Amino acid sequence: MNTKFDLNDDSLVVIVGSGAGGGTLANELAQKGIKSVVLEAGKRFKLDDIENDEWKMFGKISWLDKRYLEGPARLAKDFPNLPAWIVKGVGGATMHWAGVAMRFQEHEFRMRTENGTVPGANVLDWPITLKELDPYYYKAEQKMGVCGTEATGMPFHGKSSHYKVIEEGARRIGAKCEQATLAINTQIRDGRPSCQVNGFCMQGCRIGAKWSTMYTEIPRAEATGLVEVRPQSMALRIEHDKQGNVTGVLYADKDGNQHFQKARLVSVAANSIESPRLLLNSASPMFPDGLANGSGQVGQNYMTHTTAGVYGEFEQPVHMYKSTVVPGIVHEWKDNDPSRGHVAGYELEVLHLGLPFMSAFLNPGKSGWGRELADSLANYDRMAGFWICGEDMPVESNNITLHPTEKDQYGLPVPVVYKTDHINDTRMRNHAYDRSTELLEAVGAKKVNYLPPYPASHNMGTNRMSRHARDGVVNRWGQSHEIQNLFISDGSQFTTSGTENPTLTIVALAIRQADYIADQMKRGNL
Amino acid sequence: MKRTSKEQPTDLGRRRFLGRSGIAVAGIGIISSGLLTPAAWAASAVGEHASATLLRMARDIYPHDTLENKYYAAVLTPLARKAGKDMALKKMLAEGVKALDQRSQQLFSRNFLELEHESDRVLVLRAIEESPFFQRIKGDLMMGIYNNPELWPRFGYGGSAWQKGGYINRGYDKIDWL
Ligand SMILES: Cc1cc2nc3c(=O)[nH]c(=O)nc-3n(C[C@H](O)[C@H](O)[C@H](O)COP(=O)(O)OP(=O)(O)OC[C@H]3O[C@@H](n4cnc5c(N)ncnc54)[C@H](O)[C@@H]3O)c2cc1C
Ligand code: SF4
Repeated sequence: MNTKFDLNDDSLVVIVGSGAGGGTLANELAQKGIKSVVLEAGKRFKLDDIENDEWKMFGKISWLDKRYLEGPARLAKDFPNLPAWIVKGVGGATMHWAGVAMRFQEHEFRMRTENGTVPGANVLDWPITLKELDPYYYKAEQKMGVCGTEATGMPFHGKSSHYKVIEEGARRIGAKCEQATLAINTQIRDGRPSCQVNGFCMQGCRIGAKWSTMYTEIPRAEATGLVEVRPQSMALRIEHDKQGNVTGVLYADKDGNQHFQKARLVSVAANSIESPRLLLNSASPMFPDGLANGSGQVGQNYMTHTTAGVYGEFEQPVHMYKSTVVPGIVHEWKDNDPSRGHVAGYELEVLHLGLPFMSAFLNPGKSGWGRELADSLANYDRMAGFWICGEDMPVESNNITLHPTEKDQYGLPVPVVYKTDHINDTRMRNHAYDRSTELLEAVGAKKVNYLPPYPASHNMGTNRMSRHARDGVVNRWGQSHEIQNLFISDGSQFTTSGTENPTLTIVALAIRQADYIADQMKRGNL
Repeated sequence: MKRTSKEQPTDLGRRRFLGRSGIAVAGIGIISSGLLTPAAWAASAVGEHASATLLRMARDIYPHDTLENKYYAAVLTPLARKAGKDMALKKMLAEGVKALDQRSQQLFSRNFLELEHESDRVLVLRAIEESPFFQRIKGDLMMGIYNNPELWPRFGYGGSAWQKGGYINRGYDKIDWL
């Protein structure tokens, strides 16, 4: 359906971003009869645009607008203009994502209480509990079609050769390993086919077996006739009235023409670099530090998970690429056990890269060349390994700020991302390197390669949820502490990162937020 | 890497390959003689010495001894062609090779091409690895070698799979050595 709304229609919700958070919110609101306009900076892609080719898809759908990455971490040296690997397009990063869908653990909502003050970190308890979120996790699992869960009853994918190598290594060292709960169909379900194991989940699923808002939430929302998605529409600024309520969003269309879309309520879901950037760019005499920023926390506490890669080389073929990208997870160290030398937990996510990306990430940066690297790449088909994904510490100085002079193609100050390890992150990563090595060697690895972190696929925390207005940007519903008709609906509202991949939690929060918004509208509060 | 080529290095030494671009390239003789024939892949654009040096350098950056020269040349040829029209690039290549030889002279009193030991050449290359010249060659090579579908079978990588129905019925679960 081709619904068109008037720019002066102030009865609409305006949602910025059409990814995991924004796409889900639009559909959930539409199903309740609430109208919205979705402003999406990127283009609309079709399934036919999705190719099984790592670099082509990277070039086609990535967010490549100018950004700076600063800080002493190696990532800033290797990728000075690519802090994050995310998407500009209808569907957002749910096009690139691998589909790993896990619930947070109970204690991960109260890490401050669990561990007390962690020096140098800005840890806070979430203002919500697992118990409150559980019913929404269930709904999210159903919506997204997560295999291996009670919510769908869909079986796991079946053990790939890559998974079997890791499972055997885990068995030999007594570590817990399971197939991954993926938002990827293992049966025909919800109008989408079953996975045929192409192995290119992170390039977009050509057949649509993997959940993405691009071909689930968005078309469903549009089919209600209550939602208009405007691709190639970059939100520049959110405006407000004298009372301090937001009134709409100024955006640039594909030709660079500016329009102002009026709104009854604005939801920001532009991922954790662009969301705070938009709030900062919306500074006004009434809100000189940016919208919703009375606490000074907008853009702070940027988290990406503590990550790295570990790949073992074996004597026999593994052909890890013949698998869903993430066939399994080693869960052994996901608990919070400070006796390991670090607080919070991590997962070892069995994950493959294709040869092109392996060559770029095995030893990235200027000195990544030479015989050792080439010899490892020559063993590509005998590799098996992980992506480490652990909880990282919120640190205030890890943040998003605006470049003082340089502007992007829209005339907006370029975002500057500062990110470096907290000592806990470093300790955790080293622990994970050691345990992975033990596991891989137990099953016969001759050489184990440590890959440094690559540009962040998980981005969180820059508009965090807090009980008190002084500590964060939004309340337990993702609603700004200061501006009651302004909401944050993406991963930037995470108080802490948890160990698990973020998207299931983003979607659960968006479903819950839609309930809240509908209820508040009914009561006349919004 | 799987050694699919039947040729022995001695055969290779006598043979010539056609690069993907259609420009004739010299064979592996470069490794022993240190010089390319006048028909060298890019000699017309950057000169014989430079083209031979670049090829040697390319093989040292991502050394796969069983990969024929044509795959390395296929990366360098378009670069040299482009340099024919792009003065800045031409300058970068010419000065890059000169700087490489200077380093080599400083360290070993010989030009880069005359260094017989890989470890010596690596030392010289490490000394210039930060330069835009080196990074340009490295970047193009990474794409040309590891992102080259023609070479993927040699590395045991499958490439695009959806059009073949993926691996669900093509052995995703097969492994016999555990
Ligand atoms: C390679 C890869 C693998 C991943 N694997 C997993 C996984 O297995 N499991 C998991 O849980 N997560 C995974 N993720 C992360 C997951 O994709 C993100 O957590 C999730 O998509 C974030 O949702 P979001 O709503 O915050 O932002 P996004 O989904 O990124 O959506 C934000 C949207 O906003 C748009 N936008 C930005 N700025 C503006 C603006 N000013 N105006 C208009 N539009 C704007 C963007 O173009 C984008 O479409 C992966 C990510 C990548 C890149
Ligand atoms: S492995 Fe499955 S989900 Fe992943 S891209 Fe292939 S068909 Fe899609």
